Amino acid sequence: MSEQQPFEPKIVAYVCNWCTYLGADLAGTNRLEYPANVRIIRLPCTGRIDFNLIIKAFEMGADAVLVSGCHPGDCHYTAGNFHARRRWILFRQLLETMGIDTRRVHFSWISAAEGKKFQQFVTEITETARALGPYQAYREICQAE
Amino acid sequence: MSETITRGALLQRVSVWIGGGKSVIGPRQVKPANGSGQEVPVQYGRVASAEELLLSGDTRPANSLKEFFFPRHEKLYGYQFKGRQIELTDTEQPSTEQIIVGGRPCDAAALPVLDHLFNWDYRDETFNRRRELTTIVTIACRSFDSHCFCTSVGSSPVDARGSDVLLLAVDAERYEVRFVTEKGRRLLNGATTTANENATEPAAPPKRFEMEQLKEFLAGGYERPEWKTTTLRCLGCGACAYTCPTCHCFDIVDEGNAAGGLRARNWDACQFGLFTLHASGHNPRHNQAERQRQRIHHKFQIYPDKFGETLCTGCGNCTRNCPVGLGVLSVVEAIAAAPRENQSQK
Amino acid sequence: MQNELRQTCRRLLEEGTVQVVIGYGDGTDGQTFPTFVTRRDDVERLVWNERCYTNLATYLTRPEILALGKAAICVKACDERALVVLEKESQIDRSQLVVIGLACSTDGVKQPKCEACENRTPRWANVTIGDAAGETAKTTADRYAALQAFMQKTPDERMAYWKTELARCVKCYACRQVCPLCYCRQCIADKNRPVVISTSATLKGSFAWQITRAFHLGGRCIGCDECTRVCPAGIDLRLLNLSLARAAEENFNFRAGVDVEAEPIVGAYSERDREEFIR
Ligand code: SF4
Ligand code: SF4
Ligand code: SF4
Ligand code: SF4
Ligand code: SF4
Repeated sequence: MSEQQPFEPKIVAYVCNWCTYLGADLAGTNRLEYPANVRIIRLPCTGRIDFNLIIKAFEMGADAVLVSGCHPGDCHYTAGNFHARRRWILFRQLLETMGIDTRRVHFSWISAAEGKKFQQFVTEITETARALGPYQAYREICQAE
Repeated sequence: MSETITRGALLQRVSVWIGGGKSVIGPRQVKPANGSGQEVPVQYGRVASAEELLLSGDTRPANSLKEFFFPRHEKLYGYQFKGRQIELTDTEQPSTEQIIVGGRPCDAAALPVLDHLFNWDYRDETFNRRRELTTIVTIACRSFDSHCFCTSVGSSPVDARGSDVLLLAVDAERYEVRFVTEKGRRLLNGATTTANENATEPAAPPKRFEMEQLKEFLAGGYERPEWKTTTLRCLGCGACAYTCPTCHCFDIVDEGNAAGGLRARNWDACQFGLFTLHASGHNPRHNQAERQRQRIHHKFQIYPDKFGETLCTGCGNCTRNCPVGLGVLSVVEAIAAAPRENQSQK
Repeated sequence: MQNELRQTCRRLLEEGTVQVVIGYGDGTDGQTFPTFVTRRDDVERLVWNERCYTNLATYLTRPEILALGKAAICVKACDERALVVLEKESQIDRSQLVVIGLACSTDGVKQPKCEACENRTPRWANVTIGDAAGETAKTTADRYAALQAFMQKTPDERMAYWKTELARCVKCYACRQVCPLCYCRQCIADKNRPVVISTSATLKGSFAWQITRAFHLGGRCIGCDECTRVCPAGIDLRLLNLSLARAAEENFNFRAGVDVEAEPIVGAYSERDREEFIR
């Protein structure tokens, strides 16, 4: 990175097919601009978003991860997001204990109608990630032989 | 007349080696940073200072020395996809000189046994390179525990095989020095003095089984029920194989993504269910008894038939580290003592 | 006590109530190891002492052991909690099992867990051997003392700690194999088409492995500490288990295996679970 160029974080967003993905789509069709730092990966449901994927993203050099799905009560599969929420509560504690930077792991509920929220939230987490700088600590772990 | 070295002179040498950028490896206390009350094992590892070394001759490190020659993960080469081309990058050959200080004789004795395998149908470059780069100073064991059985496999606490120098403690401050190779002599050149005192040979662990009886069982007892009865408690982990100085199975894996990656050699262990699982789903060794039978056969029959050496030095690590106190010793002790009749019983 | 144990087991085998007793046998040097007694005269091999570490519940889901027939199993009070979880997860049929409870003396098996032990007498055993030691009330502070001390470190220090510790992991999977609740026929760590968790014993692979192991036991781990005891690298896996246990207790008022009535928290949910961390 040169001095002039600001650090551009890589952010992986795991989103559900039914709400947040459509929210992101809506942001696009409404021409709401959001940072290109976000790589969207669509999965059927937040209930399917295995925590291993969060680790995998960091292994592959992500600086932040977003997991996002339907608001409680709106899950296409009735309760996938409730199951996910419970797992996230536990998982975040484990990340804390491991010393993994939880400021780089985000969760949100974004519906198909919330293009604006999607735009705002990913802008915000991009700013946070930019301020935090590259996630060097996890990269070092992955490069150690 | 014999050569002796003081503890101080040895440690001084170690400091010089470390200062000179050599990698000094020996038994040391592994210290986790929190006082959780968990028993902390002694392991062989690279030390940052001479004081870390535990050189009393009473330590039994939980790991073996093999990882300094045959690491648990070794990158063989890297690859990058460049359009339709694949670009390969070689791994650098090891070049750091290693000096092992305070190894157990049974750990060192495993290395010449492994030499056969790594120079058999294929000459393994990195293994041999590391062997050349390493000088080994062992200390004759002053004590043994109930898992030690070197004497049952033809070795002993003063076995100098695989060592370049063997030290025997005279007292807390001095060692009798037995040079085994020229390399060893060069290593300690000038640090020893000639004195008129010899160390008393340490006591050896009792014999636990007769090799002849074990071989007899292996020759005719393939279907014997003891395989199952003695191994029922085995959990199928890798603790025995991964802490064994002679176990050497590995798996070749590719790790990478769409851009590229690496091919590596990782340790593998015959007690894992996955070890022999075919892609078809069929597993020729489908339970722990069969896996244990394979392990014992490999160590005490197949390897000796092929290379003329037992693939076990009696170090006891497999039993010491086994979650359920099994390891190789419990199995061979039981089968070597098994009654001879009903050889063909199923 | 040992005699009482042997007599009980002899009777169970004689009457044909069970075909196998899963217990502790005498090893060299006063050690004990898991043993499987199928003949009544072999009950003399059974022992009960302060070196009976193994949580034998791990054998209840193994095909080799199931093949021996209806079983009686010896459990300490801590091990017994695994039976509760196994039953809730439909892995065992309690009615097909005879549980022999072994009451611990004050020192238990002299492991760190014994210091925070509240209840040294199994509660749901069919037969209990030994005196019913009283319960010692413990607070959450007692239970999570080791974790609490560890969490005083900064996140960077914690990460540095795990880097040194996990650098010693050899991926022997003893922590998994010994665990009564790691009963998956195919562990995700063994999945190789495609690989989910790097099989290499590198920091990358070992972090991914321990995060997975600990998390898959979140809200399930009963704290027998067997994983930690058997790790040949001396890695304090207990801290990871404790952190999830504490999260389960704080957020869901749930402790795995201590209440036979309580429903498991994973695979379930409440509409009122907290979500202040979700945007
Ligand atoms: S089989 Fe056991 S005793 Fe023999 S060399 Fe290996 S670890 Fe040592
Ligand atoms: S013998 Fe012990 S260490 Fe070896 S696989 Fe079986 S349980 Fe694991
Ligand atoms: S934790 Fe309690 S029940 Fe378990 S072994 Fe220790 S004292 Fe006994
Ligand atoms: S028992 Fe220890 S060394 Fe073995 S896989 Fe588990 S953490 Fe790693
Ligand atoms: S994770 Fe460890 S402490 Fe928890 S149940 Fe399994 S073996 Fe016991």
